Amino acid sequence: MKGRSPLVSQDLVPEYGLMAGAEFVLECDNLRKTFDGRVAVDGVSFAVAPGEVYGLLGPNGAGKTTTIKMVCGLLQADEGVITIQGHRVGESVEHKGLVGYVPQDIALYPDLTARENLRFLGRLYGLRSRLLTERIDEALELIELRERGDERVDTFSGGMRRRLNIAAGLLHHPVLLVLDEPTVGVDPQSRHAILEHVHGFSEQGMAVVYTTHYMEEAERVCNRVGIIDHGRVIAEGTRRELVARLGQHDRIELEASGDLEHLAKACRDLPGVEEADTAEGKLHLIALEGRKVLPAIVEAAEHNDVSLSSIDVIEPDLEAVFLRLTGTALRE
Amino acid sequence: MRGPLVIAGKDLRQRFRDRSALIIGFVAPLTIAALMSFAFQGVQNVHATVAVVDLDHGPIAAAFHRAVSSPVLEQILTPVPMTSEAAARQRVKDKTLGAAVVIPPGFSAAASTSTPKSLTTITNVNATIPAAIASSVVSSFLAQLNADRLSVATAQAGLPASPAQTAQLSVLASRLTIPVQPVTREMNAHPLKTISYYAPAMGIFFLLFAISFTTRSFFVDRAQGLIERILAAPIRPTEIIVGKALSVFVYGTASLAVVALTTTLLFGADWGYAPAAAVVGLALVASVVSLTTLVIGLSRSERQAEGIASIVVFGLALLGGNFVFVSAEPAFMQRLALLTPNGWALRAFTDLATTGGTWSIIVEPVLAIAAFSIVAAVAGALLARRAVRA
Repeated sequence: MKGRSPLVSQDLVPEYGLMAGAEFVLECDNLRKTFDGRVAVDGVSFAVAPGEVYGLLGPNGAGKTTTIKMVCGLLQADEGVITIQGHRVGESVEHKGLVGYVPQDIALYPDLTARENLRFLGRLYGLRSRLLTERIDEALELIELRERGDERVDTFSGGMRRRLNIAAGLLHHPVLLVLDEPTVGVDPQSRHAILEHVHGFSEQGMAVVYTTHYMEEAERVCNRVGIIDHGRVIAEGTRRELVARLGQHDRIELEASGDLEHLAKACRDLPGVEEADTAEGKLHLIALEGRKVLPAIVEAAEHNDVSLSSIDVIEPDLEAVFLRLTGTALRE
Repeated sequence: MRGPLVIAGKDLRQRFRDRSALIIGFVAPLTIAALMSFAFQGVQNVHATVAVVDLDHGPIAAAFHRAVSSPVLEQILTPVPMTSEAAARQRVKDKTLGAAVVIPPGFSAAASTSTPKSLTTITNVNATIPAAIASSVVSSFLAQLNADRLSVATAQAGLPASPAQTAQLSVLASRLTIPVQPVTREMNAHPLKTISYYAPAMGIFFLLFAISFTTRSFFVDRAQGLIERILAAPIRPTEIIVGKALSVFVYGTASLAVVALTTTLLFGADWGYAPAAAVVGLALVASVVSLTTLVIGLSRSERQAEGIASIVVFGLALLGGNFVFVSAEPAFMQRLALLTPNGWALRAFTDLATTGGTWSIIVEPVLAIAAFSIVAAVAGALLARRAVRA
């Protein structure tokens, strides 16, 4: 786990500043959380440096949200330690001022205007009078909603609400921004805008934790990715590092009609095929030198009365890594 | 204190922008109090106009006329002499008269015989109060008459008399009155006007609805992740509870103050000594705050909160006497009313209005409300803290 040098500008964190010598903004060490005996997070460790976007990638229920709720002080870890800029989470509520939390749900008051929502949340973080007004203007400018700042949130489109939801987490200029699946349910244009914003935050030196189950988002926006499944981080690294783990493996994606589950089972027995799983009407395979096993796959499809409509052999990517590591395709 | 103030400020902004909250807190109590006041006007004015149809014209009929015209009855009964039973019956039917009493021909003469005649009371089932008054007066008169007849019979038994002496005894007896007459003295300095009861009753009833919409909004906020977002700020769970409580307190105080002022100025309601009434009002609002916290603590979801809040609101209103005069309820219901903060508050407001008293009147009610509030607040704070974190 390599960290970058501290890059967060003093302008971004005037209230708190960086602790001298702190290499990471966030450090999670061996976090564990159970709910009624069910293990939700099991020994999760990771660290995020200033200016870094760290992606927590995993399917729904993998433990992403539980992990970031512990980071934000919303849940108490059963075991493990979290420090933010050297402040241990849970010892006081003051550390929360270092974190900007953007929840998965659009947590805004629909009957208040955008400005009123931001003013309320800004005040909770201790912002006052002119500084608060400046920060609200700055946030609305950033998400291109300044003109509509005095309109009620319930008149906004889904994408506008998503952007405002993010802006609300930035008002107090946190050193760590935690985004929990910020693009769920938004149109491609808004998704693009959100990802651009996240990229911009990291360029300004902010540390970002970004949870998603969208592979392409993780690939596009995250400097490092932790793949989380069943409450454990099963792999971590840059995209290049993770993909390198696959070696000569390729990902094969088949669109077909027929009994795909049956075909997946048949494919698992083929030489060279290491993983096979179905998701969203497609068959996903991990195979050593994918092109060489294609004839056998086509034959297996014919044998199982599955009609193929397309076959893609994809260069190793995070999707392939996930499939290789977990044996299952990542479902959206 | 920053967090609670910010949260309370935001809640109040939403509350006063919400039309339904304004209607429940301000318009509804005024409207319902006024309507209740008009509806129960008849209960307050216990009076009947009763026809007396004298077909006898004898000495006992004359005694009846004197009885119903006596100053003792003038506040509750106005007799109207009539000559025709049919006409009287028609007017009672038309409700232009409350009831009628018919003295049959030969009533006086028959009174001194062994076969006396009856007085007939004509009533309308839709005019229960005049009917009750007329029946009561007739029963009272007949009781007197029977006592007289017993006196005459007793005199005759001791001294055999001629018919002329018997008639004379009857006349003398009819002038007698029962020696002990009940005298009613009102304990209070001022009679309680209906609006003076229903103004605080409705003000309190709709104030209780603050429990309902505050708990509901809490669980809506929680479901939408807003409570979690607030908790992500440097805010403790207790600060959220205090903020919510503060907003209920301000809203409740404003609602009750507006109802008190408006009903006093527009409808002539009497809330008694204003500073003492204000203290009772504040104590009551504090108890509503405590109850709100308790309901939040007891609930797990919006639906559950709605159910529990409805039970609390209507249960308290029914027990506390917000719908009907507590004094008209059975004794055990009157005792149950004293288990509720609204029952104590209503008692304090009516005592202030009727006795003209000041601070001494409210000591007991305020202490009772405070005790209730403390118990509810402690239980609520313990439970609600968990609800905030859930």
